[in-house]
Amino acid sequence: MTTTTAPGSTRIELDINGVAADVRAGLSTTLLTVLRDELHLTAAKRGCNQGVCGACTVEIDGVPMRSCLSLAHGCVERPVRTLEGLVETPRIQALQRAFAASGAFQCGFCTPGMLVAAHALLAADPAPDEAAIRRALSGNLCRCTGYARIVAAVQDAATALAAGGAAS
Amino acid sequence: MSAVPQGMLWPRTVDEATAMLAADPDARPLSGGATLVAMMNARVLEPLALVNLSRIDELRGIHGEADGGVRIGAFTRHAETAACALLRGPANVVRQAASKIANATVRNMGTIGGSISFADPGLDYPPALVAAGASIEIAGTAGRRRVAAADFFVDWYTTALEPGEIVTAVLLAGTRAGGAAYVKHARVAGDYATASAAVCIDAAGPVRAAIGSCGPTPVRDDDADVLLSADRSDAAIARAAALLDALADPLDDVRGSAGYRRLLIPRLLLRAVRRAEASTDA
Amino acid sequence: MSAPAGTAVGLSVPQLEGDDKLCGSAQYIADLHRPGMLHGAILQSPHAHARIRGYDLSAARALPGVRAIVTGDDLDERHRMGAFIKDEPAFAKGKVRYVGEIVAAVAADSEAIAREATRLIHVDYDELPAVVDPAVALAPGAAIIHENSAGYVKVFDAGTDGNLCSRTVFTSGDVDAAWSECDAVVESTFQTQAQAHLSLEPVGALAEIEAGGRITLWSANQSVFRVQASVCESLGLPMTRLRCLTPRVGAGFGNKMEAHVQPVVVLLAMKARRTVRLVLSREEDFETVRARHPFTIRIKTGATRDGTLVAREIELLLDGGAYGDDSPGVLGYALLMQCGPYRIPHVRAHGRVAYTNKLRFGAFRGFGVPQVTFASESQLDELAAQLGIDRIALRRRNMLVPGDPWFGGQAIRSNGLAECLAIVERESGWNTPLPGPSPDAPAGQRLRRGRGIALSAHISGLLASGAIVRLLEDGSVLLNTGAVDIGQGSNTVLTQICAEALQLPVERVAIASPDTDGSPYNWGTTASRVTYVAGRSVVGAAAEIERQLKRHASEMLECSADDLELLPGGKVAIKGVAQKAVSFADISGRAHWATGGPLIGTHSWVFDEKTFDPKRAAALGLPFAQIGVFSFNALAVEVELDEATGQVRVVGAWSACDIGRAINPAMASGQIEGAFVQGMGYALVEEMVWDGARLANPSLMDYKIPTMAELPETLEAYLVESEEPSGPFGAKSVGELGINGVAAAIANAVADAAGVRLRRLPLTGERVLLGLLDAAEKP
Repeated sequence: MTTTTAPGSTRIELDINGVAADVRAGLSTTLLTVLRDELHLTAAKRGCNQGVCGACTVEIDGVPMRSCLSLAHGCVERPVRTLEGLVETPRIQALQRAFAASGAFQCGFCTPGMLVAAHALLAADPAPDEAAIRRALSGNLCRCTGYARIVAAVQDAATALAAGGAAS
Repeated sequence: MSAVPQGMLWPRTVDEATAMLAADPDARPLSGGATLVAMMNARVLEPLALVNLSRIDELRGIHGEADGGVRIGAFTRHAETAACALLRGPANVVRQAASKIANATVRNMGTIGGSISFADPGLDYPPALVAAGASIEIAGTAGRRRVAAADFFVDWYTTALEPGEIVTAVLLAGTRAGGAAYVKHARVAGDYATASAAVCIDAAGPVRAAIGSCGPTPVRDDDADVLLSADRSDAAIARAAALLDALADPLDDVRGSAGYRRLLIPRLLLRAVRRAEASTDA
Repeated sequence: MSAPAGTAVGLSVPQLEGDDKLCGSAQYIADLHRPGMLHGAILQSPHAHARIRGYDLSAARALPGVRAIVTGDDLDERHRMGAFIKDEPAFAKGKVRYVGEIVAAVAADSEAIAREATRLIHVDYDELPAVVDPAVALAPGAAIIHENSAGYVKVFDAGTDGNLCSRTVFTSGDVDAAWSECDAVVESTFQTQAQAHLSLEPVGALAEIEAGGRITLWSANQSVFRVQASVCESLGLPMTRLRCLTPRVGAGFGNKMEAHVQPVVVLLAMKARRTVRLVLSREEDFETVRARHPFTIRIKTGATRDGTLVAREIELLLDGGAYGDDSPGVLGYALLMQCGPYRIPHVRAHGRVAYTNKLRFGAFRGFGVPQVTFASESQLDELAAQLGIDRIALRRRNMLVPGDPWFGGQAIRSNGLAECLAIVERESGWNTPLPGPSPDAPAGQRLRRGRGIALSAHISGLLASGAIVRLLEDGSVLLNTGAVDIGQGSNTVLTQICAEALQLPVERVAIASPDTDGSPYNWGTTASRVTYVAGRSVVGAAAEIERQLKRHASEMLECSADDLELLPGGKVAIKGVAQKAVSFADISGRAHWATGGPLIGTHSWVFDEKTFDPKRAAALGLPFAQIGVFSFNALAVEVELDEATGQVRVVGAWSACDIGRAINPAMASGQIEGAFVQGMGYALVEEMVWDGARLANPSLMDYKIPTMAELPETLEAYLVESEEPSGPFGAKSVGELGINGVAAAIANAVADAAGVRLRRLPLTGERVLLGLLDAAEKP
């Protein structure tokens, strides 16, 4: 079921973007549903609800994961970071500037998930080559851009971050 | 809407987990969630209780054993398995298979225990584990037992797990010298395999091969292994492939017809053997 | 149409909506929320063809939280919609015509309750024989899908009869006599598959209802005006009762051009008398909406010994699915375009669309041209091989040059095709040797390389558009065109055009969101028309504002309006005397408070050049008399083919497009690149598969599109500017052009790599491997 008012819903506390969030969730309620429907954090999108498209990607425990495949109850005591919670970080800001300059998005529906995944890549590998970028982002589908500008934008962001000396 | 879900349970030990599963036949074990939650979203499964295995320390991590073997805890994410330097030599086939599962984000979620318990014949671990000669450690309220990988995968989506049992670890023999290759043919990156071939070459001589996605379980054959262990010429590989083909039972599906899968068996096997030969001990 | 460049046109201005999209705050339909809104869910038909005998809603109604249920009983038999043939009810009434068709819908307090309620609806069906093959559908004795097809209202001479949805014939010259002039004739049959649009955003709509009955409808769409027309036609509402709006849209590619769930959602809102939002799941989107037409193409081309094309006969059979939708347009357009950008004097092009018991097939980027280009460009390579002529030389010999008209006789006034071809020939390294097959690979395991080329065209068209430019009180400008930006960047491009026309910085021009209440009519974001058609409207409306500005300024500066010019930054000055100027703000103040009234410039037009010249060609059942201007593409690809598996991957693609003038070069290139990758999916991997009448792979697990891992190592887009005289600042459009030649170029490259000619899409590893084995067996 995809609602927080499902029978058997109980109150749980989640750590969403560093803030304690009190939400109602049933056993089968996914983190994606809680984020979008209860907390109105709509950056994470529902593109397939099967974990294939990547539009729902958020960070849990510091690594990118599919919020559509994460049960809300299973996320207690695990830090969740959505794009909304990452927009103040130098890494995301560098990626945003690079995406805008490169034309690395068109309809924008895949973009939040793409940014979260790219952010995690740059955190783990500040100077990724093209192969590393493809490996990290092959799970984020885009139907509009053809991907080439996304690859270029991630490389440009990495270069900009290195030049700016930003470490976090 | 039928019965009301009971909720998520959080055992701290394997014994607690198996006790919870034994107490409630409607409860299911939850590992990484990559498989189970997708099925819940599609309403293929509607469990009333979930036994969350993520807080059981014993299930986590990959450790070298005293005898030189490697123990992969059931709750080890594919990303960790794919990066594990302990998986060398023939055991490297498991690392290669892990690295080809789905995509990087899903590899942060899925676990080896959860994956093999589902026993989808299209998965990457089953042929790799069979070729590696792995054994699967299983726990239930009656205690622990080990099953050879080749005996663990029983049929379509069916394993040797009895109700209430969970996988606790995957065990691989000592990391000796040798090589390995997991060759996956898929339509695009991240797809299930149309067909796959896993080959392990032990420096001491024995070769083990298994074919994936060509039947309800990984396809292997003692005679094929004996053949390859003695002779890895193109002709021998072709003969081994013929033996495997005779045991294969591939489906027609959107990824390919049964006929195409049979054409792939000798081709992927040859590629896997040559790559395993070329691979170093790293 | 010309003005000094540099203010805005030709600049790669970043997308205006970028900040919202990059912060995740952009609101798509599924993100819209209204307090107290209800959630909708659909019930789908389990049968491909059946009469509906009745509904039992008692169990569904009894479920707590259910607020409204709609079924075919809520629809009036007489109300039907359809772009060309009014054959489609708001959702199934009286019978169901495909598995997955919407049969009923529920509005409830939560989505879960709504979905549960749909499972409690019982529908009584009388199954009928289902027809899934278009040829069988047209054969005598087939079950008839639309019993009243002949009686439906049609906007053109469709020739509808039984399961024949429409037919079109387009001829020029005397093809029967022309075969005898040919030294080489090639004839074959090609088959293309159904492709799913796979916009990342599934379709959805939200309807709000006022107490007085007026409805505000938000939906993911490509045209607020088509939504308005379709909902009102299918529900029997006067158009004044419905206001249609658009949130951010997560792409469309044609899937969102005609109606999807909007009529259902409006009906639910009317019945519940409350706001209802309904968003389809990915599987429901796959199963219920629309997809690209499968084509069967029988094609015959003849040439003389020196490679001059003489004759072409082509016959198309389109699987139209259960409802007409855009099928007649796709058929007609495919026939118009099937020659490609070449001179072929003798042509018979004809085709039919058949109704079948599958989901409707409709508009999808390319609109029939990817299909016919696959056939035509493959056949040109075969002719070249038969004649021993170089593949590029054959194309160069026959391609349209400036002055040549299109097939049928429409004049072409800008043609940069030669430059496009020269660019891709050079940049792809066409005349340099390819790497040979990998030498150390085991037998039968080599990687082989090949190159392929395709030339194609597309129109920038058609139908009607308007624009309103208003001077705001502070001298800035508000532009309203009614054109939906689905992510391709039309808001940005139209803003650039307006800014350029008025010599304003882009930041001083705002663009309104499409709204049937306030926007001028714009047919839709389709047919690659927005830059060209809406752009022309914008230029016209800006010119009107300029006239009004100068009239005021002439009074304020006491001179003749002819002595005035616009200066950059929003000023009107006496020519050559920059100090004698008044600002737009000054003029606006005068107009608002003293004399004349607010400055409003409008322009409205319909594309009016005839598609064919009756002295050159004859057409029967052509669904459009006027179509658009032509853009051109040359595409070269290099592929690598794995002998072991048959798998083909594209290693390089070089795509040059003549788009007249690039208003926003980065966005134009982005369209070409995105179209290439979508076309690559079409060529190599994407296929909707039916198991009998049931779609077997309606999920992203089973229907795969290219990922970043499949991006070719080299993907280059080149923009050629031939300056279309009728275009805004010389521009033509680019949205679809880049996809048309992709399957053809890849198929030609596969033939080059492996000597295997495949005539069926997609070119899966399986089909290629079987082709290789077949070829190996031949002596």
